[in-house]
Amino acid sequence: MAAAGRAGPAGDRPSPAEITALIPLVRRVVAARVPDRATADDLVQETLARVLAASARVEPGMLEPYAIVTARNVVASLWRDQDRQRRHQHRVVDLRPPEAPDEDVLVQEDREAVTAALARLTDRERATLLAHEVAGQDTRSLAAELGSTAGAVAAQLNRTRARLRVEYLLALENAEPPTDRCRPVLLALSSGDRRRQREVDAARHLLECDVCARLSEPLMGRGRTRDADVRVPVQSDADVVAARSAAREVAAGVGFPPTDLTAIATAVSEVTRNIVKFADSGEVVIEAVEEPRGIRIVARDVGPGIPDVDRALDDGYSTYDGLGLGLPGARRLMDEFAIVSEVGRGTTVTMTKWWGER
Amino acid sequence: MTSGPRLFSILRQGAILIASIHTALDDTQLERFRADLIDRIGHDRAKGVIIDVAALDVIDSFATRTLRGVADMARLRGARTVIVGIQPDVAFVIVQLGMDTGSLVTALDLEEGLAHLAAVTGAPIGPGR
Repeated sequence: MAAAGRAGPAGDRPSPAEITALIPLVRRVVAARVPDRATADDLVQETLARVLAASARVEPGMLEPYAIVTARNVVASLWRDQDRQRRHQHRVVDLRPPEAPDEDVLVQEDREAVTAALARLTDRERATLLAHEVAGQDTRSLAAELGSTAGAVAAQLNRTRARLRVEYLLALENAEPPTDRCRPVLLALSSGDRRRQREVDAARHLLECDVCARLSEPLMGRGRTRDADVRVPVQSDADVVAARSAAREVAAGVGFPPTDLTAIATAVSEVTRNIVKFADSGEVVIEAVEEPRGIRIVARDVGPGIPDVDRALDDGYSTYDGLGLGLPGARRLMDEFAIVSEVGRGTTVTMTKWWGER
Repeated sequence: MTSGPRLFSILRQGAILIASIHTALDDTQLERFRADLIDRIGHDRAKGVIIDVAALDVIDSFATRTLRGVADMARLRGARTVIVGIQPDVAFVIVQLGMDTGSLVTALDLEEGLAHLAAVTGAPIGPGR
């Protein structure tokens, strides 16, 4: 504090007793303005602290008026803060922009897309879905009508909804899938069925197919809510650290020994760095696998791709020449390692480490 | 960059700089660490540098290359570098990763690192000796 430096001879400074004598006065000033006791106590403390800090500069005999003015200022600044908070509060909750002029058009388009999507379902699918969703008929009575079981009807409804989502997106975008692989992939994504997604190699198709890559965006994240699954979006250096600590955490949950944890974290570090270095953005998905126990890491980007994957995986073991991608090292640290890369489309690295394997 | 706890610290002890990394660093932070350390070597006319990496749970290819770079640059600036505190798991992984660490001088801990530097540089360590 500057005041301390300027303090005069000891006699000029008010004694502690003089400061203490101010307490009832300050308390009265503050209490008259602030009803809440705890807040008032805080403000009294703050006032005394300020008076004490400034005491060397205050003329003898002026301590009392100085304390009163200070107390008022302290209270006023509290009010100002509260007021500012109140004024800014709406920003915290009011995220909805004012209704745009094209809202009506969008609603209209939306309705048409839903109609088109419904029209593409089979009659039976549509009838069951509408009976359940619109008329509110439960699965058991539907099952009785259809000569089926409630569980089967529910599963069928789920599949129908997944198809409806896909057809809706296609209708909304006015897009016709360019290949016959598109629909199965989109369906697998829409239903969130990961086994099916692997069967149709959905990740690879999304790298290859622009239409699906665009359409699938709202479908992503479906069925990924299991807590064994961690997704780390990757854009900057800091995300490399985030991805590897996430991997370490998941791997620890699987029960890997410490050395393996370090190996897994290091491998993740290598492949994630490539996303930051060569692609603008990507993601790392870390998944605990059961039967056999292990951890699977998928690092995906939509960057320039690796023209020669074999060369990227090739290195002089001891000199670490290679292409400097860290990929050969990562491969050595994991049990399974696969790269799919397409120039101009992106790269997907999938690597697995099994628990208990050496 | 000034907010939050410090990511690393560089302390001087006689003609020796002791650089401790406190937490996992990302690549940008590692590069900053390297730049700061090289600056300090010139500024403090240091003869020896100890880099304590005990807090690093991952030393991947980039970190290894950076440490190697620091040691090379320090050598060109007239200082010897010793890396101390590499964790056993981390050592295992560095070898598996296939990184070349031949040019790095290492010691088990700070004490041995200081002893090594005292031997090779002849620099007095601290006021006590």
